[in-house]
Amino acid sequence: MILEAKDLNYYYQDGEQRRYILKDTSVSFEKGKFYTILGQSGSGKTTLLSLLSALDSPHSGEVLFNEEDIKKIGYEKYRRNNVGIIFQSYNLIPTFTAVENVLVPMTITENEIPEDAKTVAYNLLDYIGIVKSKADRFVNKLSGGEQQRVAIARALATNVELILADEPTGNLDEEMEQEIIDIFKKLAHEHGKCVIVVTHSNEIALQSDQAFHLRKGALSSYE
Amino acid sequence: MNFIKRGFLGITRKKGKSLILLAVIFILGNLISGAISIQQATGNVETNIKDRLGTAATLELDHEAVEDLSEEEWLEIENIDIDLIKQIGALSYVKYFDYNTSTYLGSESIESYQGEETEDEVVMMGPSMDFKLNGINYAPVIDFEEQKGKLVDGRVFTQDEVDNGTSVAIISTKLAEKNDLNIGDTFTLENAVYTYDEETGEEDVVTSRDVVLEVIGLFEPQSIKEDIEVDSDTGMIDWMDIEYQNTVYVPNEIVASENRYHMEEYMKEDEEFAKMMEEEGDSFEYYTPMFYLNSPEDSEAFEEEVAPLLPEFYTVINATDQYDSIAGPMESMSKLAKYVLLVAVIATVLITGLVVLLFLRDRKRELGIYLSLGERRIRVVGQILIEVMVVAVIGITLSLFSGNLLAGQVSDMMMKANENQDEYYEEYIYFGDTQIDLTTEDVIDSYEVNLNSSYVLGFYGIGLLTILISTVIPLIYIVRLNPKKILM
Ligand SMILES: Nc1ncnc2c1ncn2[C@@H]1O[C@H](COP(=O)(O)OP(=O)(O)O)[C@@H](O)[C@H]1O
Ligand SMILES: [Mg+2]
Repeated sequence: MILEAKDLNYYYQDGEQRRYILKDTSVSFEKGKFYTILGQSGSGKTTLLSLLSALDSPHSGEVLFNEEDIKKIGYEKYRRNNVGIIFQSYNLIPTFTAVENVLVPMTITENEIPEDAKTVAYNLLDYIGIVKSKADRFVNKLSGGEQQRVAIARALATNVELILADEPTGNLDEEMEQEIIDIFKKLAHEHGKCVIVVTHSNEIALQSDQAFHLRKGALSSYE
Repeated sequence: MNFIKRGFLGITRKKGKSLILLAVIFILGNLISGAISIQQATGNVETNIKDRLGTAATLELDHEAVEDLSEEEWLEIENIDIDLIKQIGALSYVKYFDYNTSTYLGSESIESYQGEETEDEVVMMGPSMDFKLNGINYAPVIDFEEQKGKLVDGRVFTQDEVDNGTSVAIISTKLAEKNDLNIGDTFTLENAVYTYDEETGEEDVVTSRDVVLEVIGLFEPQSIKEDIEVDSDTGMIDWMDIEYQNTVYVPNEIVASENRYHMEEYMKEDEEFAKMMEEEGDSFEYYTPMFYLNSPEDSEAFEEEVAPLLPEFYTVINATDQYDSIAGPMESMSKLAKYVLLVAVIATVLITGLVVLLFLRDRKRELGIYLSLGERRIRVVGQILIEVMVVAVIGITLSLFSGNLLAGQVSDMMMKANENQDEYYEEYIYFGDTQIDLTTEDVIDSYEVNLNSSYVLGFYGIGLLTILISTVIPLIYIVRLNPKKILM
């Protein structure tokens, strides 16, 4: 079990009332598998992902990474060493080139980074489908699909085993979507990573090794 | 791509924003720099002038307070006694102190010094009393310590000589040369008692006694006005000089005893006067205290501490009191600079704060990204601080020089305006025996806007701190948010 959520509770205070987004939610994930979490808009998918990636903290419950509470690891440390996060809106740094964006987490992480980081970054981009000439462009001069590939390369740059993505194809057309999903499948099946993708697309869910359905703050298996 | 490199890239990749920030800091920097320049320059003038005015202080009757007193009230005014002088002299502000009494005596055996040119035509009008017998209690002689005169031969007094009133004297080399006196020689002055006939205007010597003194030291005046030309029209400085050349330093007791003798003999002649003196009690011993403080800055504190100890109607006079009356233009400048500085600092905090805030609003998402990648908050803050502070240092350095130039220009203009506006007044200040003639012009002359290290440090300090504060506060607000709030 690489990642485990136990009895997560997350709510918004609505006057006197607590409106629960997640209620006693528990779930676990293994390495080498491609997971999807399916749910309607507003069902709490982003909330769940933000707790799994330590971008936010739950009101109660815990998230275990390799059996260790991420709170104990330290949220910041967990983010820089153990998890790669991909957002729907890419969240790249616009004043940097593609390769510079990939280099950023390499200087933040405490994981071992090969000495010629720049070469590694170019190779990584190339593997994800960004050729060298595009790797030296400022990211706002790239298409949406290309930007999301840069974001994936950035998530992989620190050599983490856990990749979390929040609707990564939400802004892309179908063709592009399939290419990105293929990358995720390859990462899980060929590189042994644990890939968790939040989506509201059935097509994507059907391609995953395991799909969960988030509804009314609870997760169930989706067939 | 560590945070330092990111900081520098942040400057070069966003040139427009960096230039705007630079311009804002430069403009405000000029204001602060100018204000600090003027403040420092006025501060320098104050210390400079006060240093030249010296650290002397004395106790005097408050002329305004005693102006309207009746004769009886006058008689009730106490003298300042020696114990009080000693008590004040023991205060920590006082470097050394003395109390003096003096009298003028004539002589039949020695001639007074009358200047270099007039040597051959000395006009004697009636009985002359050319020699100023100057009593002292501070054995090393304060006038020598304060460079009014300089001992060039022989020695100063011993405390024993002062305490016992031994008949020893220190005279000027000019007086010694004129009368062929050397160390160890004795000379004689004459304490003569006269009566004055109001009708005829005639003076008669009633009685007299000799005052025999041994020369133990020779001094030379150390003119404080070496660089100032002797004013030939008034002969003012000449006259001061001649009096000093004919001054004979002796222990206080010598003067006191001659005064007593003079008074007693005079009372024998004038019964009315004798009666009056008897009523008043023994008050012919009167000493002028002189305190020299450690520093001109101590004068206010000294005054505050001494005032309550004084008998009614007395007041402390400090040499530096004079500063206020000649420093008119400086004061208004200093005040203006203070306000400009205050306004400039507040404006800088507000405006740079605002500019940085706008700047950060665009960058909020970027900061969120670094946080989501697990960057330490302190480094995220560090990156932005590098971006802002590098620009700030450049802007401040530029404005340091231009603000200084500007301040020079502005104060030149103000000084000129002030000079024309105020009636031009020149004041000669007599302070005890020391004459100080500093004028408003001297004040303006010693005003100088320049770059010194304390100014540079002060400016960098105030400037950088101001910008630091206005950057860090909004930054901290952002990095305290959790990344989800910023990004998702
Ligand atoms: N700041 C907020 N205050 C109150 N409710 C919020 C706030 N942010 C999100 N929500 C609610 O939380 C729920 C879950 O949001 P989210 O996790 O983003 O859903 P999803 O990603 O599945 O669309 C939504 O119903 C949303 O309206
Ligand atoms: Mg969402």
